[in-house]
Amino acid sequence: MAGQIRGKFVILPNITQPTFSFLPRVPIHNEILTKGGDVRPPVSFSKRAGWLLAVGLALVLIGAGAAWGQQTLKVTQANQSLYPEADFASTPLASVPVGATVRVLRQAGDWYQVDYAGTTGWMHRQAFPSAQAPSRFGGLPGLLFGGPVKETTSDEVALAGKGFTPEVEASYRQKHPELNFAQVDKVEAFRVNDAQLQAFIKEGGLKP
Amino acid sequence: MKRALAFLLLAALPCAGGCAGMDVVSAASVAAKGVSKAVAASRPISDSEEYYVGRSVAARILATYPLVQDSRLTLYVNEVGLAVARKSARPETFHGYRFAVLDTPEPNAFACPGGIILITRGLVATCDNEDQLAAVLAHEVAHVANKDGVNSISKARWTEVLTAMGTEAARQYAGVAGNLVTLFEGSIDDVFKTIVVNGYSRSAEEAADRDAVATLTKAGYDPQALAQLLSKMMAKEKGGTGGIFKTHPPTSERLAKVKAEAGAGPPPKDEAVRSQRFQSLKI
Repeated sequence: MAGQIRGKFVILPNITQPTFSFLPRVPIHNEILTKGGDVRPPVSFSKRAGWLLAVGLALVLIGAGAAWGQQTLKVTQANQSLYPEADFASTPLASVPVGATVRVLRQAGDWYQVDYAGTTGWMHRQAFPSAQAPSRFGGLPGLLFGGPVKETTSDEVALAGKGFTPEVEASYRQKHPELNFAQVDKVEAFRVNDAQLQAFIKEGGLKP
Repeated sequence: MKRALAFLLLAALPCAGGCAGMDVVSAASVAAKGVSKAVAASRPISDSEEYYVGRSVAARILATYPLVQDSRLTLYVNEVGLAVARKSARPETFHGYRFAVLDTPEPNAFACPGGIILITRGLVATCDNEDQLAAVLAHEVAHVANKDGVNSISKARWTEVLTAMGTEAARQYAGVAGNLVTLFEGSIDDVFKTIVVNGYSRSAEEAADRDAVATLTKAGYDPQALAQLLSKMMAKEKGGTGGIFKTHPPTSERLAKVKAEAGAGPPPKDEAVRSQRFQSLKI
């Protein structure tokens, strides 16, 4: 599956987002014959289409709210925290251990607003690496309620408010072209899969 | 009906464009966020910040030493490193542990904050077997776990970073972000000086030794392997003063403590299998 690089994260294509095809085909003819053969005044095209559009929009709004309220995610990475804001710089509300399940309330960019053990807060997508990548608008709720936080190098306030970020690293790299970040990326790209590691441990008589 | 439909669409369209009031960072939350920044002013460096510092420190080291172009050796060192990291006090980091071999005969090892651990070909060759290699890597993992690298960022500098982040002026004037880059640069210098030039404090070294012995035991490696390697390095020390002899000095006092920590006992099972796969690399 092809992915797109966004900062240090690989964003996988959105494959689970449902598509809605809620507008049935509208008949082309605009006359209706009664059983007796009389011609009845037709329901106008625009009126019928209007009702269908309204019903469709209502279903989308209700469906979206219900879907996000019920979605749960399992934390699979260690050292994760629940933040009061979608910001690593905010003081964590609580630690969230590996294996904990959180209920997703909404998504904004790489952050999820979640309910964890009765506390509402924000968790970064790093806690759930297999979670669906955010779309441009943060999914349907993002489309309806606003997109993700803008994070650009031109946004001085965002830069200053987040500490050492990929943007700060990017500026540092520009300032120091002699440093070898390409080799760092190569080191980071090297991965040992779990099955391979388990086999290595077993072969060496190490503790599983 | 047309009017009703028009109303519905007009009501929906502004939201599709992004309801500012519902966004994560809204105008209304700016004041509240300022307060949270003030609270955050006492926080330690976060895992993600540690990760970006570590990447830059690694980039600086890799500007001097190239990587060994031997995928078999790289895989092996990663397997040994991960086998000990998972039994350490910090089994996971923000982006995970990565191990790589630097192509130089000079014996040395560097623990970059966040989990990139670089060991030289010279130090791998100094080890007699896999257990000794595991001992070196467990010691470096302990430095990452104990955050010895990021802890070397001067307190004054970190306070300045937090001030830059928390100050309301950051919202008013450009240039603060540039200052943050300068502070980042200074932080990289602090960490680099510690792990490459001056070395950690004696207490940090002793703690890393203690943790390494505990990790080796938990992983199933020989806990005496670290003492064996230190003895070998002490013998070599007469001929060397820089590199690892400066950053990780193998003193007799240190050796005695590691020996006491490891205790006595037979080596764990399958030592021969591990030694055989180490020797097969022909470093």
